[in-house]
Amino acid sequence: MAKTLEDNFERLEEIIKTMEKGNASLDESFKMFQEGMKLVESCNSSLDKVEKQIIVLGNNGEQEDEWF
Amino acid sequence: MAGVYTVKQVNSYIKNMFKQDFVLNSVSIKGEISNCKYHSSGHIYFTLKDNDAILSVIMFSSQAAKLGFKLTDGMAVVANGRIDVYDAAGKYQLYANTITKEGIGDLYKKYEELKNTYEEMGYFVKEYKRPIPKITKRLGIVTSKTGAAVQDIINISTRRNPYIQLILYPALVQGEQAKYSVAKGIATLDEYGLDCIIVGRGGGSIEDLWAFNEPEVIEAIFNAKTPIISAVGHETDFTIADFVSDLRAPTPSAAAELAVCNMDDLFNAIEDYRNRLFRAVNLCINFKRDQIERYKLRLDYLNPVNQVYEKRQRLMNIEDKLAMLMKNEIVRYRNRLNLNISRLDGVSPLKKLNQGFGFIEDMDNNHIVEVGQLNIGQDVITYLKDGSYKSKITEINYGKDIRG
Repeated sequence: MAKTLEDNFERLEEIIKTMEKGNASLDESFKMFQEGMKLVESCNSSLDKVEKQIIVLGNNGEQEDEWF
Repeated sequence: MAGVYTVKQVNSYIKNMFKQDFVLNSVSIKGEISNCKYHSSGHIYFTLKDNDAILSVIMFSSQAAKLGFKLTDGMAVVANGRIDVYDAAGKYQLYANTITKEGIGDLYKKYEELKNTYEEMGYFVKEYKRPIPKITKRLGIVTSKTGAAVQDIINISTRRNPYIQLILYPALVQGEQAKYSVAKGIATLDEYGLDCIIVGRGGGSIEDLWAFNEPEVIEAIFNAKTPIISAVGHETDFTIADFVSDLRAPTPSAAAELAVCNMDDLFNAIEDYRNRLFRAVNLCINFKRDQIERYKLRLDYLNPVNQVYEKRQRLMNIEDKLAMLMKNEIVRYRNRLNLNISRLDGVSPLKKLNQGFGFIEDMDNNHIVEVGQLNIGQDVITYLKDGSYKSKITEINYGKDIRG
């Protein structure tokens, strides 16, 4: 299952807290930083920034029309 | 004629009979209100009627003040009180103590029963509640296509997140068919794999909201895989749907607030994560840099060159000390020497020469201290203060002191 935005947020929180403790090796820190930045980008791109019309269903559950 | 009575006597007699009747002293009567009049004194007068009969009712102001609602013509009520005779008019009427709306009473009882039933079945327990996702991308709505509720939900949802996908199932929310329509809407949207579904309608009477107490709707909510927010009526209205749903919103607008997160907040949160990541990595680097600096200081301290310096210093100290000792020793010897010189000086024969004595040696440098060493005709040398002279022994006398 693809990671949800919330999962990503949680992981980011975890990464940042670990890094802020300051006892990770520089190598580990850079790895975490890289992972974090990737997550940030993926969070950003997972937010679909297209305005959508409202779908209205018919009685049988099929899409009937769209309106604002 | 056995007797003739006055009207008053007859009415009093009848009044007394009413008074003695156990049933008439406290009776509940249901009917529809008509001809209702609120008198300026606070008393309420109305007629209670059903299809076949009417009854006059009076509610005195003291009781009327406790009435929680306003009586209107056509309202179905149950009035409780005593039936008494107003003898001045020759009329009997109900003196009402309490009046309840009949419909509400019945429905409320039914509501309580249903609520207890489902509560006992465990439909309301927390363990069954699905969490409402923090970030909803696709939101289902089951409500009337017309009406304020759907507009409120659409307005608030799209204001908070313009990119959200809303899917509306237009349901009947009132009337006989409403329960089937709402239940079907929930089941239909549940198949769409949405993040969350709002089920609700705007405010209304308990009858208007009744579909949300019906088993069809309760079951549909309970069985749905999608988290469901109920939003039925106003803040004060409770339906069983509110208890069985995963989250109860006081109004449809509030439901949209709960279901849809504010997109700006989300963007800010992501930006915040980015900044924090940069700060954290800089922190790490600086921390390591400090660590390096500390190691450098410690290494410097342990540098062998420092040991050489130290040893050299020690050596110099020892050297100084040695020199000092040596100097002291020399001084000591010099003092001793001086002492000996003065002692030598004290016993020096030269000193005696200074006082006018002479020092006599033979030609072989033997010191002549007694005349026995001498022979007539022998040469000797006499040393005086300022020089010496050579002489020849001409005479030797024993045992005579120079002072004769």
